[in-house]
Amino acid sequence: MLSDPTPVARSDPDTAKTVIDGQTFKRLVEASLTWLRTNHQIVNSLNVFPVPDGDTGTNMLLTMQAAFDEIANSGEHNLGKMVHSVSHGALMGARGNSGVILSQLWRGFARAVDNKAVLDVPTMVQAFAAARDTAYKGVVRPVEGTILTVAKDIATAADSAQASTDNPVTLLDILVTAADRSVQRTPELLPVLKEAGVVDAGGKGLFFILEGMLRYLKGEPLDVAITAVLPLSEMIFENTMEAIEPGQDFEVIVDFRPHEPLELPVFYNDLEQMGTSIQVGEGDGMYRLHIHVPTEKLYSPIDYTRSLGVITKIAIENLIAQMEERQDSCDDSQPIIAPIEPGQIAVIAVSPGPGISRVFASLGVAGIVEGGQTMNPSTQEIIHSFENLPTDKVILLPNNKNIILAAQAAAELTVKTVAVIPSRSVPQGLAAIMRLIPDGNFETVVSEMNEALEDVETGEITIATRSVEIDNVQVREGEIIALHNGKLVLAAASLEEACLELLKESQADHFELITMFYGDNISKAEVFRIADKVRTVYPAQEVEIQEGCQPHYQFIIAIE
Amino acid sequence: MDETTPLGSIHVSPQAIASIAYHAALQSYGVVGLTSKSLMEGLAHVLVKDPTKGVEVQYDGQSIMIDLYVIIEYGTRIKSVATSVSNTVRFQVEKALGMPIHEVNVHVRGLRITDYD
Repeated sequence: MLSDPTPVARSDPDTAKTVIDGQTFKRLVEASLTWLRTNHQIVNSLNVFPVPDGDTGTNMLLTMQAAFDEIANSGEHNLGKMVHSVSHGALMGARGNSGVILSQLWRGFARAVDNKAVLDVPTMVQAFAAARDTAYKGVVRPVEGTILTVAKDIATAADSAQASTDNPVTLLDILVTAADRSVQRTPELLPVLKEAGVVDAGGKGLFFILEGMLRYLKGEPLDVAITAVLPLSEMIFENTMEAIEPGQDFEVIVDFRPHEPLELPVFYNDLEQMGTSIQVGEGDGMYRLHIHVPTEKLYSPIDYTRSLGVITKIAIENLIAQMEERQDSCDDSQPIIAPIEPGQIAVIAVSPGPGISRVFASLGVAGIVEGGQTMNPSTQEIIHSFENLPTDKVILLPNNKNIILAAQAAAELTVKTVAVIPSRSVPQGLAAIMRLIPDGNFETVVSEMNEALEDVETGEITIATRSVEIDNVQVREGEIIALHNGKLVLAAASLEEACLELLKESQADHFELITMFYGDNISKAEVFRIADKVRTVYPAQEVEIQEGCQPHYQFIIAIE
Repeated sequence: MDETTPLGSIHVSPQAIASIAYHAALQSYGVVGLTSKSLMEGLAHVLVKDPTKGVEVQYDGQSIMIDLYVIIEYGTRIKSVATSVSNTVRFQVEKALGMPIHEVNVHVRGLRITDYD
């Protein structure tokens, strides 16, 4: 992987200066997009808040993707016009906080290169300064130690380097180094980063964007993940789980202290003979090696590192077993239900899985009845759920068409005032409970909830248990099937295809929010992969993933 | 917002919550100011310094609702900025208060134009 890349002749600083016109710039944007895609999981993993900016890497990636899409087919040679299109694309596709800031950096950059045919050093210096200024205008109280700081440091570095070179590539090289240094400095400025032992994610993303451009100009590969050495704190093994290949059965992590400085290219080369997903971290002369190996080479990395230095720690995990464990590891902790005040309206929801129960609990239900497609609760169980509540105003959300009757029976068998909202699916139930006002007028709340049922489209993805033909859809046993509002609409070979076709069928592009509740029969890696696909196809919609833990259904999808 | 402990009660006034929300909103990227709700639309560019203006906190004994009246920088994607300010405010207030926020509504009252493209 680290084999000597062949530098592109035209970018050799000694022979000729690189001319960056519109078309070259397009390649640069493409390169930064590719490099960001290669590394966006690293950026994601740097996140310290659960919110506000969930997945910084993904957000920046989607923003860059939108920017590149704008110019992908452009034959424009004028630099100014090209950058303007990039800026427009980034602005339209800006996702999340970091994406918005990135779009503002592009906006400033574009304004400075307006009417310029090519990108030369003085223009670059102006452009980075303008990018910084525009980005800082977007916030009243800038927080330092973020992407803004990195943008500022880049602009400062550009300003002080302009006297020393007239080659854009040399300048870019200097800026990448400056960006890297600035990123490393972010924990000093922002205590929350220091506590979490990470650098700022947005800043790191900006660094990758510039580094991608530089790597392209230097002719270095863009589609291989980091082959350099990471600081120990940045080594992330979670994501390597997604990259497990057949035959790579064991994960081996070795901490060692080499006798002599490591020859990294040789080191990597040797490791590649043994396995995949190689990561090497360094801190205080201590190295950590991470690798996935097949069973027969289980001890090779250990023997190999022993020949290089002193091993201090070895950890070996069976990946296959770990993967299986992951797939079963649905969080089945009980929801915490807040008690209701006497006389308030109590909502009882039927929920097919612990994850969905937790969502209902967070929205203020007074009770949960477990049940779903193949485990319909009895009328007695439903009555039991609200009998002891200190109120006589009860609303039932059956959330499945097979349970509506049982709920109605329960309503008739009690002295309390019970209204059954005929929600036929979990998304409908969620839409209904959004309208809950615990102290409101009972009739009004009930009619509001009934109306809310129409606000949401429901999609369900599951596996056909037998071969059948319904509504002109031919299904074979074992195929993935998709139901739209309870009606079978299609059969597909893969989950991904089923999800995308279902969303198309329900015209998801006319809606705003797609929430996917994933079941207990699908791995998280697979969920994230499919969600990424959905996000790519529906860039204008918010796509949320929630742990549903429901059985049988890989996905229950709410489209609203 | 009230909480009763064996040692006595804790009262947090809506103004205190508004203040947290105000500072969180101003740190949020793309928001250049808050504006009073009561002003006419035409005067929406008048920014407020008082933390309780431009932020409305409602508590009905059960859930907390926050309404923000913001001015956004022209040229940013309004939807993303609004989503992000709503997330930031919810996160910061919940962190400070230790209570869930039911709703954060963001009302974009105007755009500040500093540069035309």
